[in-house]
Amino acid sequence: MTPHVLPQLPLWVDGDLDAASLAAVEHHLVQCPDCREAAESLRASQNLLREAMVPPFGVSDRERLRRQVMAQVRAETPAKPVRRLLPRAALLAACAASLLLTVFLWRRNPAVIVQHPAAVPNTPRHPQQPPPAVAVRQDSPLHHTLGSLAPLREAPPPLGPARIEFQTADPTIRIIWLAQSKPLSDTTPPSEEKS
Amino acid sequence: MFPGSEAALMDEGLATLPEVPAEDPLTPLIQRILGGELDAFEDLVAQTEARVLALVWRMLGDRHLAEDAAQETYLRVFRSLHTFRLGECFEAWLVRIAMNVCRDLARKRGPLPVPLDAMETLPSDPAPMDAEETTLWNQRRSLVQRALASLPQAERAALVLRDLEGLSTEEVARLLGVRPVTIRSQAASARAKIQAFCARLLQPHGVRP
Repeated sequence: MTPHVLPQLPLWVDGDLDAASLAAVEHHLVQCPDCREAAESLRASQNLLREAMVPPFGVSDRERLRRQVMAQVRAETPAKPVRRLLPRAALLAACAASLLLTVFLWRRNPAVIVQHPAAVPNTPRHPQQPPPAVAVRQDSPLHHTLGSLAPLREAPPPLGPARIEFQTADPTIRIIWLAQSKPLSDTTPPSEEKS
Repeated sequence: MFPGSEAALMDEGLATLPEVPAEDPLTPLIQRILGGELDAFEDLVAQTEARVLALVWRMLGDRHLAEDAAQETYLRVFRSLHTFRLGECFEAWLVRIAMNVCRDLARKRGPLPVPLDAMETLPSDPAPMDAEETTLWNQRRSLVQRALASLPQAERAALVLRDLEGLSTEEVARLLGVRPVTIRSQAASARAKIQAFCARLLQPHGVRP
């Protein structure tokens, strides 16, 4: 007798075996009453499963479902364009406005940084450091017109420590910011910058 | 929930769906819905609701939860119908969405309970039965539902789609985003467990509901 086929029976019962395996299983079932009984039991449980899992919904259940679905769908339909299109349009408009504002301000306000080579002393720790670039100063239009804090844009590329100045509304007060990679204690505070 | 198939279930429409038959009656309905006709959507629901209700009930094992799942399925279909690619099988897309809804609801609900509607009578009994036969039938039905509810989700999905919904192994594998051999293995394991459950409880000396 061929080997028992109990492990293959769950595949055999719903046709999940290839042709060769199917032939081998059916050949064995003819010979083996134990496997045949197991196969019959499996087939009976499959039939029971199909009978027991017939859904309990009738026509009225389906109609109720349809009514509920369509009520929600109709309720959603007018709101759809508002929900979908308005945020997209608003987002696009905001992006365009931001871009235009940035370009406008950039062209109106060519602020620059001012570098003072004299105010940044060469420290003994960096004897090979090249001297700072010659400072070029341009007055911001906003500095004249508004008399307020005028941001200064950094000029490329600073070889030494950067020095950024803001002239406040009070002509006697100027804010000076030194930006460099080493601690500020190594530099001499430029006290002569108060005018 | 569905080992190895989470991504496929989450990404409705990413995996390849079976090609739609040339005479698929749902394609004109879908085109009308996409054109803005709400009545066409009602027709679409009417043509597919029996299958969706059966599927979600078999997956969830609870009548009221199944009705909620079917409703949610159709709402998701309506909201994302514009992403459906005409030329693919709409019912496969629908079944995939329904399976996603079942997975979401099952995750919210937790482990499957013993089916509460096990004692419901069938809407149309094939043959008249006396009271004793009806009771015995309902008890058997309850047992089978309990056996199905005791299966792991992946095996339950494979068994429901393969043996109860009548899909082929390859179709189920495509729907769930796993290999056909996995579906064969899961369905075989589920069949063996159902058989063992039924054999243990349906003894000749009586039924223990």
